Amino acid sequence: MSKATTELDFFGLDKNQTNNAPKPMFKKTLDRRRSFREMQGAISKMDPEIIKSLLASGANRSDSSTRSFSVPSTPKEDHPHRPSSPLHAPLSRLELVSGTVPMTIFYNGTVSVFQVSPNKAEDILKVAMETTPKNDKSMEKDLSVIPPTTLGSKLFGKNLEGDLPIARRKSLQRFLEKRKER
Amino acid sequence: MEDPDTKKPRSTPRNVDDVISLVIPYVTDARDRASASLVNPTWLRADSETREHVTMALCYASSPDRLSHRFPNLRSIKLKGKPRAAMFNLIPENWGGFVTPWVNEIALSMGRIRSVHFRRMIVSDLDLDVLARARLDELEVLKLDKCLGFSTDGLLTVVKHCRKIKTLLMDDSSFLEKDGKWLHELALHNTSLEVLNFYMTELTKLSPRDLATIAKNCHRTLVSAKVGDFDMLKLARFFNAAVNLEEFRGGALNEDPEKPDKYTKLTFPPKLSRLGLTYLGANEMPIIFPFAAQIRKLDLLYALLETNDHCKLIRKCPNLEVLETRNVIGDKGLEALAQYCKKLKRLRIERGEEDEGGLVTQRGLTALAQGCKELEYMAVYVTDVTNECLRTIGAHLKNLRDFRLVLLDQEERIIVADLPLDNGVRSLLMGCEKLRRFALYLRPGGLTDVGLGYIGRYSPNVRWMLLGYVGETDEGLVEFSRGGCCPKLQKLEMRGCCFSERAIAAAVMELPSLRYLWVQGYRASMTGEDLRVMSRPYWNIELIQARRVPEVDERGEVGEVEHPAHILAYYSLAGQRTDCPPTVRVLREL
Repeated sequence: MSKATTELDFFGLDKNQTNNAPKPMFKKTLDRRRSFREMQGAISKMDPEIIKSLLASGANRSDSSTRSFSVPSTPKEDHPHRPSSPLHAPLSRLELVSGTVPMTIFYNGTVSVFQVSPNKAEDILKVAMETTPKNDKSMEKDLSVIPPTTLGSKLFGKNLEGDLPIARRKSLQRFLEKRKER
Repeated sequence: MEDPDTKKPRSTPRNVDDVISLVIPYVTDARDRASASLVNPTWLRADSETREHVTMALCYASSPDRLSHRFPNLRSIKLKGKPRAAMFNLIPENWGGFVTPWVNEIALSMGRIRSVHFRRMIVSDLDLDVLARARLDELEVLKLDKCLGFSTDGLLTVVKHCRKIKTLLMDDSSFLEKDGKWLHELALHNTSLEVLNFYMTELTKLSPRDLATIAKNCHRTLVSAKVGDFDMLKLARFFNAAVNLEEFRGGALNEDPEKPDKYTKLTFPPKLSRLGLTYLGANEMPIIFPFAAQIRKLDLLYALLETNDHCKLIRKCPNLEVLETRNVIGDKGLEALAQYCKKLKRLRIERGEEDEGGLVTQRGLTALAQGCKELEYMAVYVTDVTNECLRTIGAHLKNLRDFRLVLLDQEERIIVADLPLDNGVRSLLMGCEKLRRFALYLRPGGLTDVGLGYIGRYSPNVRWMLLGYVGETDEGLVEFSRGGCCPKLQKLEMRGCCFSERAIAAAVMELPSLRYLWVQGYRASMTGEDLRVMSRPYWNIELIQARRVPEVDERGEVGEVEHPAHILAYYSLAGQRTDCPPTVRVLREL
């Protein structure tokens, strides 16, 4: 096992999760026996391009490719060429039109969701990798799951009442927007 | 190979258990079946072997293999995925509800399936491929209802392999349109289509000629067509061919000021009684007058009519049973309904834009209650409401099974003078004894803790509730969920409430039938720990984390909207989810 490199818990995962982890894990060092199976299942749900770029930019220089985990070069037979697996596939109208996908970043007590193109995502990840100090355990803590309730109060302020506008049905919203154009 | 069981029906039944296997196939109501299956193992088996349809209100409540194991001869399934709030853009698109494991199970071990309905789920082309190849000509019904994730390639595969399909629906689904081949393929080969629905799908590559061909080939069977916005003139051939069509929604009436008679020559199929024409305006309205008397169902949600236009049209539809429209209908329109549409059973009034004018208040609702006594379903967005009006509804609308009221929060505050609505709500609930679904969405001050207690006490048959901005303190929830309250409440949705996590969790523990809870906007604790109060076996607790979602406003500027956290909790036999996106956090042993 190679030396621990920086673990960037981008997806806000508790590293103490068991094999029944619901979330995809991305660790650059891993115990192959225990987590390979869950890794395969989890990784196949992520965009292979992003994983590849992350590996390429972040892998320890002395680390040979056999040690760090390998992205399957051919898609598994139960996954189509077009990544239609759960985490990546569901493309909204916006995404289909603009070619972007959502990227969620947990940082310093805030959550942000951005629509980015895969290239942009790569760039962002690269920058994050470069600026992250190595072997910084406290960093890991910051990036791990922040109880959503604290987020809730931070984002929302103290008074919830009257802050939630009445939501409109999607289909009706689309029609009303079209109506304005007529 | 003879099944020994088939010999049984011929001999004289020896006891009740023998009889049940003969009788149970005729029991079709799901609740009856559920009760019967609890009697003893023989009855359970009789039900299991003959159950034809199952609806799962939440696909995560159980697992595919459990379903197929218990009901090996299922012919029809309906699964729902995302919370209802997804229809209002409140749930992350990738939240979950993947059909993959279900489709795989159908392919593997559910060999009698001929009808599949997925609602608010995520479907891929591969899923459609697997399903199509597994069921082939035996698949008769496929409904992709408010789904996303696939493309027209997937539809093409279905149409190619399932030649005898009778119902193909993709209403309000979000998918990639590559071409119009799937419709063309239907036109080439299908002669059994009864229902075709691609309403609200923004498809642009379809050929009206294919649609006309389908109408011609399936003229005997085609009864319902809900299509995208083809200009209505392009559908003329379609209408001429679809001689047995009873329902049509969609098309587009694109007014041309230089050609005021553009659509006057349009003829409609003779049996048409359920109708919705997109962009229907005052000028085009007369084209439906010739058959208005036979219209039973009218969809004006996507029409461009004003209040007076509504009145003019309503007057001509004495047989109207179902009306959907926006609040531009106004009190005047409701008064017209009360006067002319005595058979009205279902009314839905959605919230339009403020510039449309037309307001719905207690004036219209009172007239409606007094005039349309057959109403079973009523969903209204109102600008003003009174206790007296609610009392009147309770006094007159004895057939009401589903009542939903949203009090709009308009910019120029029309002062709602008669708050709180405690007494009116109590009278309504006491009067409408058959009520099974109830939604009340108000504003701070709209309903006190006492009023919330009334809801709890006077809803003996209600199974689903949506409560928005009700109550004042946690005490309200305590009253709502006290012993004996809401005995049949299975699904509770709450939004914008002032209750603490602890109070919510405590209320959950009191409600005997509750199997599904959704909350957005509540007083969260620092760590989510207070939800521990509702920790129990088989009860999954999830949080959709607070998010900032980029949104484009009217000026085209990209801003960020804050979405506070949601609690989602439900009973499941399948354990905790293993397919969550990053925004969903599963709470383990707290």
